[in-house]
This record gives sequence, C-alpha cells and structure tokens, in this order.
Amino acid sequence: MSTAVVNKATKIIQIRRLYLFLFVVIAWVSLATIFRGRATLALPVSENSPFNDRVGAVAAAIRAGRFENPAFIYFFNPLREIIDSAVQLVRTLIAIPVSGSIIPVVGWFGVIGIVAFIVYASSNFKFTFLAVALLLGTGVLGMWTSTMDTIAMTLTAVIFSLGIGLPLGIWAGLSDRVLTFLRPFLDLAQIVPTLVYLAPLALFFLIGAASATIATMIYSIPIVIRITALGIRGLNNSPVEASISMGSTKRQTLAKVQLPMAKQTIILGVNQTVMAALSFVVIAALIGAPGLGGPIINALTVRNVGDGFVAGLAVVLVAIMLDRSTSAAVKTKKSFVPPSADEIKRRRLNVAAMGGFAVLSIYLSRNFLWAAVWPENINTSKIVSNATNTFVDYATTTLYFLTIGFRELITIAILNPLETLLAQSPWFLTVAAIAIIALIIGGRGVAILSVILLLAIVYTGLWRDTMLTLTQVIVATLLTMIIGITVGVWIGRSQKADTAIRPFLDAGQTLPAFVYLIPMLGLFGPTRFTAIATGIVYSIPVVTKLVADGIKNVPKSMVEAAIANGSTSWQVITKVQLPASKRSLLLAANQGLIFVLAVVVIGGFVGAGGLGYLVLLGSSKPEMQGKGLSAGLAILLLGIVIDRIAQTGARRK
Amino acid sequence: MSEHNSEAAISVRDLWKVFGPKPEELINSEDAKLPRAELMKKTGNTAAVVDVSFDVAPNEVFVVMGLSGSGKSTLVRCLTRLIEPTAGSVEILGEDILKVNTSRLRHLRRTKFSMVFQHFGLLPHRKVIDNIAYALEVNGVKKEARHKRAQEVIDLVGLTGYGQSYPEQLSGGMQQRVGLARALAVDPAVMFLDEPFSALDPLIRRDMQAEVIRLHKEVGKTMVFITHDLSEAMKLGDRIAIMRDGAIVQMDTPENLVAKPADAYVADFMRDIPKSHVLTLKSLARAPKPGEATDGPELDASTVIRDASPIIIQAGRPIRVASNGKPLGIVSSEDVLKLIAGEEQ
Repeated sequence: MSTAVVNKATKIIQIRRLYLFLFVVIAWVSLATIFRGRATLALPVSENSPFNDRVGAVAAAIRAGRFENPAFIYFFNPLREIIDSAVQLVRTLIAIPVSGSIIPVVGWFGVIGIVAFIVYASSNFKFTFLAVALLLGTGVLGMWTSTMDTIAMTLTAVIFSLGIGLPLGIWAGLSDRVLTFLRPFLDLAQIVPTLVYLAPLALFFLIGAASATIATMIYSIPIVIRITALGIRGLNNSPVEASISMGSTKRQTLAKVQLPMAKQTIILGVNQTVMAALSFVVIAALIGAPGLGGPIINALTVRNVGDGFVAGLAVVLVAIMLDRSTSAAVKTKKSFVPPSADEIKRRRLNVAAMGGFAVLSIYLSRNFLWAAVWPENINTSKIVSNATNTFVDYATTTLYFLTIGFRELITIAILNPLETLLAQSPWFLTVAAIAIIALIIGGRGVAILSVILLLAIVYTGLWRDTMLTLTQVIVATLLTMIIGITVGVWIGRSQKADTAIRPFLDAGQTLPAFVYLIPMLGLFGPTRFTAIATGIVYSIPVVTKLVADGIKNVPKSMVEAAIANGSTSWQVITKVQLPASKRSLLLAANQGLIFVLAVVVIGGFVGAGGLGYLVLLGSSKPEMQGKGLSAGLAILLLGIVIDRIAQTGARRK
Repeated sequence: MSEHNSEAAISVRDLWKVFGPKPEELINSEDAKLPRAELMKKTGNTAAVVDVSFDVAPNEVFVVMGLSGSGKSTLVRCLTRLIEPTAGSVEILGEDILKVNTSRLRHLRRTKFSMVFQHFGLLPHRKVIDNIAYALEVNGVKKEARHKRAQEVIDLVGLTGYGQSYPEQLSGGMQQRVGLARALAVDPAVMFLDEPFSALDPLIRRDMQAEVIRLHKEVGKTMVFITHDLSEAMKLGDRIAIMRDGAIVQMDTPENLVAKPADAYVADFMRDIPKSHVLTLKSLARAPKPGEATDGPELDASTVIRDASPIIIQAGRPIRVASNGKPLGIVSSEDVLKLIAGEEQ
C-alpha cells in the first residue's frame, strides 16, 4: 500500500520534471527570440578581454622569470633537463643520429629485430608477424624516422609514467586514505581535454621534447594509478583474507597474493597507458614533440588531406602495433596454469632464436648502410598522398549529395538553431536556463556550481566562444547517442553482431583523436561540422560499448518474462531493456559528452572556431597568448559543468 | 564480566562487534536490544555481534548456527581478529587474543590457529602444494621442509597426486580439500571453519562432512564450525550455538536443542529435524505401566532412537533402557511411534 503511494508520488514528480523541463526550454526559446542579439558578450577574435590581458601579463612574467625565479632554477628547469636527457637518450637509440654519425645507435633493421624479439617473448608468433608488418608499413609510407621519434617519445613517457604511477596506484589500491586524496585529481584528469594541457606546460617547460613528455606523463599517470588501484581493489577478497588469517605481513600479502593476482589488470593498465601516451604524443607536436604529430598538424593547417593521411595512417599502424603487442600479453594468458615443461622448453628455444635474430639485426644495422637507414627508394608517401587527394576530390564532387548534403542538413536543422539559442541570446538568460536545467537534472548543489563556473567563464570574456563550443558539443553528443544507442542495442542483443562489430570499436578506441580529423576534413571540408563529425566518430566506440554492456547486463529473467508475456522485440527494447539499463545510458551520455568536448576543441584546426581555435591561436601568436590560456581555462570550466550535470543526473534514481 | 574458563581451549566473554559511526556507545546500552532496522534508524549503527559469551572445550567441535545476517561470520572473524571486536575478551589457549600485539597475533595465526573459508580463498597463481605450504612459507620455513609437511597433509585429506595441480584445475569439493589441508598444515590447536561447505553441491557436501568427522577423529582438533545448515550442525556439533541478530539464543547439545528448545525461534528451526534421528532412548525412558513386559533386551540410554527402533520392533515387547548399567525404565514401540507421529503435526 505505502509503496504504491510512493511509486505514484515518484511518478508524479518524474512527469512534473519532464513538464518543467519542457516549460523551461519553451520559455528559454521564446525569451531568446525576443532578446536576440543583445548582451551576447561577443568579442572579436583579434581582441583581448581585460582578463585575457591580465593572463597574458602573468604568462609574460612567468616567461621572463625563467632564469631568475627560484621555482624555475630549482624545480622546472632541472626537471626539464632530466626529462630532456632521458628523451634524447631514447631518441638516439632508434630515431636521431648519434653525434658524429648519420645513424642512430640502432638502425631500422635492428629496430625490427628488437620489436620482433620483445613481442615474441611476451606473446606469440602471430602478433610478432603483425607487429613487424605494421612497423615495415610505416617505413614504406616514408615515415620511418618520424615513427621512431613517436615511439621513442611514447616509450620515455610510459617508462616515467609507470615508474611514478605504479607505486602510487598500488598504494591507492591498499589505502583508502590515499585513494580519497588522489580521487579528485584522477576525476579531473578524466575531464580535462588534451588540448588544455599543452599551453600551460609550454609556459613552464618551454617548447620541445621535454615539455611534450611531461605533458604526456601528466595525461597518462592518472590512468596508471586508476587501473592499478582498481586491479588491487577489485580482487576477490577471500584469498587476501586467507593470507592474513595465516599470519602474513602486509608486505607478504601484497607480494605473494595481491600483486600476482592483479597482474593481468596491471598489464592491461600498461596497455592503456601506452595507448594514452601515444595519442597524447601525437597532439603534443603542438608544443614541439618530434614525430608523426608534426606532419599531421602541417597538413591540417594547409588543408592537405593527402599528406595528413600518410602521417595519420602511420599513426594508425603504430597504434595497432603497440596495442596488439601490449594487449597480447594479457590475452594469451587467461588461466593461471603455466604450460607444460615441454612447451616451456620449446618456447625458450624459440625465444632464444628470436633473440639471436635481434642481435644479428642490430649488428647488421650498425655495420651496413642498407640495414641502418631506411632505403630511400622504398617510399610511397607521394603516391599515397596523391591518391588520397584524388579520392577526396572525387568524393567531394561525386558524393556531394551524401557528404555535403548531410552536413548542410545537420547544420541547418540543428546546429544553427541551437547556436542561435546559446550564443545569440543574452548571456544571463543562457546562464539562468542552464542553471534551471541543472537544477532539474542534478539538484541544487550542481545548479549552484554551474552558475559559479558559468559566471567564471563570463569573467574570462570568452562567453560567446564557449557557447559556440557548447553548441558543437551538444549536437555531436546527440548524434553520437542516437548512433551509439542504436548500435549498442543491436550488439547488446545479438552475439553475432557483437562478434562482428566489437573489434572495430576496440580498434577505434585505440586511435588518437587527432587522426580522425584528417578523413573528416576530406569528407566535409573545413567547417564546424567537421569537428562535430570527428567528435562523433571518436566517441561512438566508448558510447556504444557502454550501451551494449548495459543491455547485456539486464537480467535475463526480466527479458524472458517480457517475452513470455507476449512482448514484441520493440516492446522488449523500449519497455524493458532500455529502462533497465538507464544507468549505463546516462554513463554513456556522460562519457560521450567528455569525449566529444576533447575532440571538438581540436576541431579548431579545421575551422570549427570556438574555444579550440583560440587555444591554437594563442600558441602561435605571442600577443594572443593570454587569450589562448583563458580559452583553455574556459574549456576546463565548461568540461566540469557538463560532467557534473551529467554525473549527478546519472547518479540520481 | 565473568571469569574465563581456564580449562577451555577457547573462552569468549561479553564479545561485541558494532559497525557504525559511534560503535562504543552501543555496548550494554538499551538500544542494543532494538531490532536491527530501528537501531540503524536511531543510531546509524549495526550490531553484528551482541554480548556473546561461550567456552569451547579442547577437542570439541563447536558449531555456530544461524541464518544469513545473524552475525555468525562476523563472530568467527572477531575470534581471530580478522575483524577487530568492539568490546569483550577472547582467550584462546589461555592467551587474551584481543590484547596481543600485531607480531604476536601473526605468530599465533601462523602456528596456533587456522581458518577454512566459504569461498575457499585459494591462491589461483600457486600450485596446490604451495597453497598448502603458504602459512609455513610466510613463517620462514625452508622450502624442502614445508613441502614435506604439505605432502603429508595432501595425503591426509585424500589429494594424493594433485600437489602439482593448480586450484582452477580442481572441482569445488577438491578445492575445499585444499582449503582443509592448508588449515591443517601448520598443525594448529584450533581450527575455524566459516561455512566451508555452503558453496558445494549437496552430495559433495555430505562427503566433506564425513571427511571432517574423520579428520577430527584422526587429528583431534578443537573446531569452531560456522554453518547455516541445521542438519550439518546436528551432524558435526558436539554443541551448537544458535545465533539470531548477533546474539546467541541457545547453546546446547543437539539432543537438548531438539528436546528443549529455549524459545519459539529455536523450536521453529528444530521442527524440520526428525526427532528420532537426534534424541536418544534416555528422553523416552519411563516407568513400566502395570501389565507391561519388563523382560525385553537392554539398550544403553545414549542410543539414538532411530538406531534402537529396529531392535524394539524385532523384540516385540518394550526394551529396557540403562545408563552405565543403571536401569532408567522402558521404551515401547508405541512410544517411538508417538514421537514420530508427534513431529508430523
């Protein structure tokens, strides 16, 4: 009886909330129409707000104090030098010439040998073959040296990240207090778009390989910590309890029980760290990271899709190679039972043989020019680039109706009206509307936080640019959710579809966001929509997977009961599976928003405007530096607003 | 606080475990008597173990029985301080466990007592033999010596030939044999078994219960056995403590629990137990009525009724019951029938 009353009450509140929401939107739209164009706080691109000027002055002061300020002399500069020498050391091993020579310590053939040995030792022949083929592919694309630079940068950042992140992660896995302390940083790290890290780091560590490595570390260390801590906390408690009950010290339990059992998760963490570092190293070319990022940026800047495609393809090959090599170690060993003695013996012989090959290849690469420097005549970059450009021309002329038609449809139907609503109406109206929506979705705390953060954005003077970015984020997320839920429901319900589609989603997740810009630029040209399309493509894998897992986790008995009651498939989906996986859907929306934001701001490269463009502008023009840094701050603030509203909304029942 | 029994292997007095913001305030308070939901609402605390006292004699199998949430698992963890009790005292082999320092506690865990877990708690990355030798290993015993000892217990629990296997290669029942072997490896004085067979299917469970009875006969340990299964408790326990909402409702021999349940809760539990399987002739013995034959065969008073009934039927007349040669009375087939008929209602 009482539960029925409660249910009824909740239902009324829910219905009320929906009506309230609609009412707010209608009121917002009508007021926005009336006051259109007033108090939009528009600031011309080349002008600085007072706040921007102040930030610029602070930045200039920091730069001026580089050789006087104690913080620089005793911390930033020495740290930079340590990291720099480490990076240069790794680079001279495989990428750049040793001084007084024209080749690195190990030439290309030697690198092939080493990679073959490492991958074989950690997995099997199949993955070894794949890794070598992919690596050769980057050479064939004419990108050997850049590829080696990217790998060297990634490796250095990963080694440092693991060195710092693994102990911290283990500590956070064992101690609640440490985790509580670290959690805000870990949460924030998940929200901050990659683009935001770069400019402030360049301010403290100059531009170059060192600051790129440090930026990469800051990006990837939270990932190591999170997964390692999760690996230790997620363990089945009974072996741990048994170990304590037998009188183990904490150290013994850690070394003999927790670490061995968490090993697979920790290796997975290494894999994630490598992939995160790779994607960051590519974009860190903006602050001087050597490697494949540079050619991509150049190509994007001059809108040469073909050249960008060559470098981007090399990134994809490296990404697949690194992912397969590091995840193979996880996947080949599901069971704790080691292979038989015979197998071990045979394997040892094979590994030794592969080691011999590696040593021989290193020797050859140090003594013969053909094995030292990638042969010049094996270079298909021009061919691939031209072919790509030809195809892009064909596509933009022949497939015009498909690509440009779709682009214009979305732009006119959704993008423009929403942009008008957000960016062309008075700022206080938009702040109020967002605050009320936050109140309806997430409650009072979030609403207050949103107002404070939005006012802070207003204070930066970049309100209108923020609204342009927000428009793109919302449109991209909406489209992502439509596609993600459709595909997610499909693969959540059909094992066949799952088997067919999941590998693509997995592959899609490993690629750096930057790489997706290139084909989108080719298809849609330099517009806002290109950034949106990139955001969609980049976030679809994570959204789809979350939706699919949510659908899969709906208790089978629920679905069976619905079918037994005579529901159609459509009824099962809409009345049982989707409502029951509401939490996963909201989590997917949250992740989608954050992923989209990270990519949409990179869209500044291809004419998307908004905050991302200002960040890029700030890093290229000294007089705009204050504005660029402020734009980074605005992105961060916007990210927190979006995340908080979506998160508290998801946590609510 | 009453004195500890110095004869006992385990002697527990006034033991409390309260989870929540201010656990100490609940000790001996009136609030502690509230039902759990009300207590939670009023104080934010959960009383998992409420004022528990008992003694376990050396070599006794002491069973703690209760439904899930009754606090029995928390109780057994408090005894070895896997969970720190809120108040009270626990003496094991004359030593106050709650007062010893960490390194002494570790030493006791390594040498004097051991535990078997519901979900086995085996280390998946170690061979059976290294699982069993684990407590010896953390105590610094050399590899050869600990493997020798581990092999002995492997043979003892019937796992001969499986020492080099990994836990995942064994069935559930076999895995729990490893759990038992691991607990026996250090030759402990006291063993704690926390629902060791709940995760096993019924047939395997019966085998394992028989195994525990056999091991207890062979190695004679003091055992504290936690279970939610009344028939298991009846089968294994010298004495049984029945827990409800953290407190012990009744503590007695299986026979007395069936014959004299302390309250409706215990009686309700005992209803499904066939009385004839638990009660002995002692409970039925009575003075002969006039005209009844008194020349039937004589049986000892400790004979379970189920075992006595074929003899009674065969004799065709009441049997005589005696305890240590002292006559207690007679039992007729009608008495047995009445008992069995009585529990059907």
